Amino acid sequence: MPRLLSGLLACALLALSALAANAERVLRLDEVAVGELDPAKASDYADSILMFNVYDTLVLPRQGGPGHTPHLAESWVGSGTEYTFTLRSDVSFQSGNPMTAEDVKFSFDRMVSIGQGLSFLFGNVESVDALDTYTVRFNLSEPYAPFVSALVRLPIVDKQLVMNNLGDGEGEMGDWGSEYLSQNGAGTGAYIVKSHNPQDETVMVKFDGYFLGVNERAPDTVRLRYGLEAATVRTLIAQGEHDISSQWLPPEVKKALAADGNQLLTEGGTGSFYFKMNTMKEPLDDVNCRLAISSAFDYESVLKLIAITDEISEGTAATGAITAGMFGAKPTSQALSRDVEAAKAHLAQCRHDPSTFSVEISWIAEVPLEERLALLLQANLAEVGISSTIRKVPWAAFAGMVENPDNTPNISQIFVTAVTGDPDTLLYGMYHSSKAGTWQSPEHLSDAQVDMLLDAGRAGETDGERESAYSALNDRLLTIAPSIYGFDSQAVFVARPGISVPALSDPNMAFGLDTMGFAFRLMEIE
Amino acid sequence: MSAVLKLLAGRLAISLLVLAGVSMLIFAIARVIPGDPARIALGPNATPEQVEKLRQELRLDQPIWLQYGHFLSDLSRGELGTSLYTNRPVTRDIAQFLPATLELILAAGILMICIGLPLGIVAAKNEGGFIDNLVRVVSLLGVSAPSFVWAVILMILFAFFLPLFPIAGRIGTQFDVPQITGFLFVDCLLTGKLDALADALWHVALPAFALALSGIGQAARLTRANMVETYRRPHIEMARSYGFPEWRIARKYAFRPSLIPSLTIIGLDFAAMLGNAFLVEAIFAWPGLSRYGVAVILRKDLNAIVGTVLIISAAFLIANLIVDLLIALINPRIRHGRDRS
Repeated sequence: MPRLLSGLLACALLALSALAANAERVLRLDEVAVGELDPAKASDYADSILMFNVYDTLVLPRQGGPGHTPHLAESWVGSGTEYTFTLRSDVSFQSGNPMTAEDVKFSFDRMVSIGQGLSFLFGNVESVDALDTYTVRFNLSEPYAPFVSALVRLPIVDKQLVMNNLGDGEGEMGDWGSEYLSQNGAGTGAYIVKSHNPQDETVMVKFDGYFLGVNERAPDTVRLRYGLEAATVRTLIAQGEHDISSQWLPPEVKKALAADGNQLLTEGGTGSFYFKMNTMKEPLDDVNCRLAISSAFDYESVLKLIAITDEISEGTAATGAITAGMFGAKPTSQALSRDVEAAKAHLAQCRHDPSTFSVEISWIAEVPLEERLALLLQANLAEVGISSTIRKVPWAAFAGMVENPDNTPNISQIFVTAVTGDPDTLLYGMYHSSKAGTWQSPEHLSDAQVDMLLDAGRAGETDGERESAYSALNDRLLTIAPSIYGFDSQAVFVARPGISVPALSDPNMAFGLDTMGFAFRLMEIE
Repeated sequence: MSAVLKLLAGRLAISLLVLAGVSMLIFAIARVIPGDPARIALGPNATPEQVEKLRQELRLDQPIWLQYGHFLSDLSRGELGTSLYTNRPVTRDIAQFLPATLELILAAGILMICIGLPLGIVAAKNEGGFIDNLVRVVSLLGVSAPSFVWAVILMILFAFFLPLFPIAGRIGTQFDVPQITGFLFVDCLLTGKLDALADALWHVALPAFALALSGIGQAARLTRANMVETYRRPHIEMARSYGFPEWRIARKYAFRPSLIPSLTIIGLDFAAMLGNAFLVEAIFAWPGLSRYGVAVILRKDLNAIVGTVLIISAAFLIANLIVDLLIALINPRIRHGRDRS
């Protein structure tokens, strides 16, 4: 009898282990709707998750350090206005078509022709030439040092597949395959789109023919859900029905989930939170008034507001206009701090009498955290004798009102991220006078020295030149204070135990690029 | 032509006029919401040329009356333009999201009728008693709290503390039901996947109940009040004096006349749920039209706003039409009114 029992037990264990071995590894995560699948239109976080998994790019950010490594490209040469890439010859699209230089040229032409999404990154590229099957050259109109980093945002599309699926539209290329690519993938990526509903869910499955191979413990199926409410995510994770939350969960929910034994994953170093001051409208057209406000701000209290646990926070102390770790950033030991006396001294030099004005602090209706930050700033300003009002503004209205300095609030709150990881994409859109009047630049700053340094940062041929330009720019921006540099932002995600995401948990494996940590092929599920 | 057909023709004509009015109104309102749709859609880094190009594509550079003309012309071909939110034709979005919402409100409506009306009848039969008071308290609770509050309460009770119901989506991920009509229940039946149907019904239970609770309370209160009033009328006394059984008096002489106001309210509730379901849809991750409608308003997605509002308006009108017809069929004074005259 004991033998029979032990035999049965052994059989059961064997069956269970066989089941476990064959069990499908499913990863379920969420993001804000919608998920844009077309590489020429993709721009935000959810879109980028899709791009970095369904498509590949010529280069990738180096893990755990600065610079870039070849990816679809084998190598590249060039600087100034010409960059030539030699492509790998062993890469196939998910359709089975081989990836060639023609696909790279087509992907660039398509993105620029459609002119949406992140196509602005390639405004300096005049043309792309496919020199032979595996060699492609980018011709720039002027030197643009961040060009290689911009290539992480050029997903390579299967030309033949798209050409077979052109829709109606003007000209020979019709809709450039937009309708097809809004529902289907056409990349070389490690995951194939199985179904896509932009408001609900995208389901992806592992691509067995991926040119780098995929870890067998990586998810077999990924379900990226859109627009889940915080209460829903909280319950789903508690039920074991969800694996990784978005970064948009309220801090208290993250804290509660962490207390339940879930992990907190982080991604930082690519952006900051700013209070933007309208430099074209009284009273903040006076630099002393702006310096008074930035000196009065309590930089330490804001970190307490965004803390999730004692160890993990949604931000770290700001050191200046440039996020720590980027060219020109100051050492983390030089964190900004509050100086009430300095604030009062600056206020005394301001040509506007604080008893005669009140500043308007706006917050974006869709970001509740900003209301708390506005209240903190209001209290800080009251201490130095500046009265203020707080105004809630829906995002759509805000994006429109900042086009005109007269309609722009005195102070606006914005999170800004470098979409390529390079400081150029963080700073140029915010502070160059040619870019004033967008949601990134409600300061409406017009400063010749800032413009010159931003252009120098773009044109610098060596890292040393760029470091020097951005360092001077950082000093200048601290001197003229168009913004309060609130904190360096850090995205925090909640993950169930048993999910391993090295790029979001180990600094040595982190990519210096938003979203790249969500490359599913690098994850492991127990 | 019978009175009912004439009523139907009149209502249809009025409905078309109302729809035309709504289309003009929403077309104008959508264009005065602050914010440039092209700028919002293209993001902060788009060049002025790119924004202008999209404005031209959307015809936003033209006078509003001309834009409306293009809209009517597109509408006559069954097109509503492209959504800037999803980058897909609005008609495709509506076709994908509307069935989910219709299924949800249909389930909620069934719960409203099957629970609300019997509760009202039972309360009226026991006027002033314990059951009556209990029903009145329950109804009041249902009416006084909005659907999304119930959604969260139900989720906490029946998913978080007692994990009995699923809380996200229309069906479990293990099921793969081919899309034939877009109506999941129908598609499950057409493909013979009864286990998938059971799972879909399981998924709809909590959101439908949360959405229906307010209507259940309203239907119960109204039915009770009307039946109590009807029970006091002389014809009930006369029926009793003839010795008719109590169930027959309740069904034929008390319930039927009391049904007309309840039916009107239920009909309007059905249509109102189409617009009001967005928070319930958001909480239960239900991929429906209401959630889509709110999202497109926040993104100032003009084509999608107009398309969604038109669909919801049409639903209101259809619900009203159906209610009018049902009332005409139930109420002999309307049914035979014209013939008598």
